Amino acid sequence: MSDSARLVVEGLRARVEGKEILNGVDLVVPTGEVHALMGPNGSGKSTLAYTLLGHPNYEVTGGSASFDGTDLLPLAADERARLGMFLCFQYPTSIPGVSVVNFLRAALKAQGKEMPAREFLRTLSAVMGELKIDESFRSRYINDGFSGGEKKRMEILQLALLRPRLAVLDETDSGLDVDALRTVAEGVDRVRGTDMGVLVITHYPRILEYLRPDAVHVLHRGRVVVSGGHDLARRIEADGYDPILGAGAGTAAREGNP
Amino acid sequence: MATQLQTPGAIGPEAVTTRAANAPAWLAERRRAAWEAYTALPMPDRTRDEDWRRTDIRGLEPDEYVVDPGPTGHGAGLVEAMREMRDRIAPDAAFVASTRNGVRALEGAEALRAQGVTVCSLEDAAVHDEAAVRRALAHVPVDGSKFTALWNALWRGGCFVHVPTGVEAAVPIVAAHSAAGDHAAILPATVVVLEAGASLTLVELEASPAAQGTMLSDAVSILHLGEGSRLDHCLLQRWSASTWHLATHRGVLERDSRLRFFAATFGSRLQKVYWDALLEGQGADATLTGVCFGGGDQHLDHQSLQAHRAPATRSDLLLKVAVRDRAQSVYGGLITVDRAAQRTDGYVQNRNLMLSRGARASGIPMLEIKANDVRCSHGVTAGHIDTEQRFYLQSRGVDPEAADRLIVRGFMQDALDRSPHAGFAEFVGGVLDEVVAGHSAAGVEAEGLS
Repeated sequence: MSDSARLVVEGLRARVEGKEILNGVDLVVPTGEVHALMGPNGSGKSTLAYTLLGHPNYEVTGGSASFDGTDLLPLAADERARLGMFLCFQYPTSIPGVSVVNFLRAALKAQGKEMPAREFLRTLSAVMGELKIDESFRSRYINDGFSGGEKKRMEILQLALLRPRLAVLDETDSGLDVDALRTVAEGVDRVRGTDMGVLVITHYPRILEYLRPDAVHVLHRGRVVVSGGHDLARRIEADGYDPILGAGAGTAAREGNP
Repeated sequence: MATQLQTPGAIGPEAVTTRAANAPAWLAERRRAAWEAYTALPMPDRTRDEDWRRTDIRGLEPDEYVVDPGPTGHGAGLVEAMREMRDRIAPDAAFVASTRNGVRALEGAEALRAQGVTVCSLEDAAVHDEAAVRRALAHVPVDGSKFTALWNALWRGGCFVHVPTGVEAAVPIVAAHSAAGDHAAILPATVVVLEAGASLTLVELEASPAAQGTMLSDAVSILHLGEGSRLDHCLLQRWSASTWHLATHRGVLERDSRLRFFAATFGSRLQKVYWDALLEGQGADATLTGVCFGGGDQHLDHQSLQAHRAPATRSDLLLKVAVRDRAQSVYGGLITVDRAAQRTDGYVQNRNLMLSRGARASGIPMLEIKANDVRCSHGVTAGHIDTEQRFYLQSRGVDPEAADRLIVRGFMQDALDRSPHAGFAEFVGGVLDEVVAGHSAAGVEAEGLS
């Protein structure tokens, strides 16, 4: 474990609705690095994201997770967010009646990042412009009637305004056309400072071509079975998961059943 | 039978005698007849009265409540607290404030009087504008129900507004009703008569301080809309959480008149409130909207009637309710369409949000349609607060209480948007935020009240 590690996950186990999904995840994301988390459907990628962010339906049954040295597990979701964690949702929730602008102000206030109204509106306009989000979205209700691409852009908008210290992107690239993908990736790239760690959960290597990850991890049956550099993602693109998981899955199974 | 010493000033024949002594003969007679009807009618009963099937008022003993307190020392504080509310909702509005001791303030009505608008106590109007008062009171018969009978016998003070033909009232009117003190009984009275083509915005406030012991409120509003007239009526109910609240708000709509009624309900331990829109004239149009938040052990009952009695009438009701803790909301909504009321358009919907496992909310809409060319529909939903919505907000750092506040505010927003008065909607939104945040629903924080 490095002193500069932002996120340290050790042997994390979790279940949802009584079903074990995470079976001992080990993962370290150092400060300022971009890590990719890949893996076939059902391997536990989104469960890991929700568990790390503190969704009440995900029950941790073992292991540990810490953020800048703070134990995450006793903390509620909002407390984790206030530490600087952020989840780009795969399926952002709509909240009718709550306008985007009121929501953003509430979020900034909660995180002690309030701005004077004028500065807030100016910042918001600038970021919306960069992300190609129409100004009219300010007064629309959160994700209510938004298209898939609009929802994803709204997630990146929040990322840009809240400036977290660790962003978990849960399949932010799925369901986006090439242009939207580029906008989103550029958006992430723009807010990615030297300090922010990023964990990108994805099925598709394309977004990684934009984000150039420092490391790629493959999750299978609730464990990280292989880690490598960006080339690992390219190998998965070329050959699929089977050649990698053949060995990795076997190891996991052996360790899980001594 | 044990003889009990009656509390001085309590609901009883003596109070009626006192009221009658100060009233013109026709009104004195009406009060006495109402008292007779009141004593003859049994208390509403869950097993006997369909209206009361889901609301239990056993435990309310009206005779224990005091309508005539004598000098209390509360009055000035209450009036000042209500005036502050007026200043926040509609600073330009005329102000009529009543307590148990009658009308205690009547201010800012000069511009209205210059237009020929009458703004005065209902008692004064019974003397000076007898015909209009009698016509309006006839809409709430003395023997209509236990609590309207009680009201007819014992109302005091009250706000009366009469807008002449074609006059568009220059400023809104705030009619405030307040009381304080253990075992206080108040009978808020608001009577509005709009002649043909007149228009008015009326804001009614019902509020009391928290922790004043048990109270009883028995309220009636009568809104008579003449041909082609327009009334925007806002109503705020913020009685203390130990108040029994019974009320009838009845609009009678003549040809081509338009009522926009918007009610916000926060207070009382138990309320049974009737909203009646009687569409008597062709082309009459009523929009009724309610927002209601309950917590603790509150029991909040709304019952509405949209009575289409003439052709081409339209009504649209939306009631949104959020309940928490062990609070219960029950709603019954009836649309009736007479045989003559062809081309009627009637709609009722009730949306309920439950914030706690122990909270309950339900709605029963009913249609009674005797015409064959109508469009009527209804919808009721009830659901718990959405875990995913709460998590989404929390994942942005918003604490769970603030998240619930945002979600409830969002849930209510489409109803708040229907308020006919922007200042009122803003005020109610603020009260909603406070109440959801756990502050008292009671409406006045008056100085010097013990």
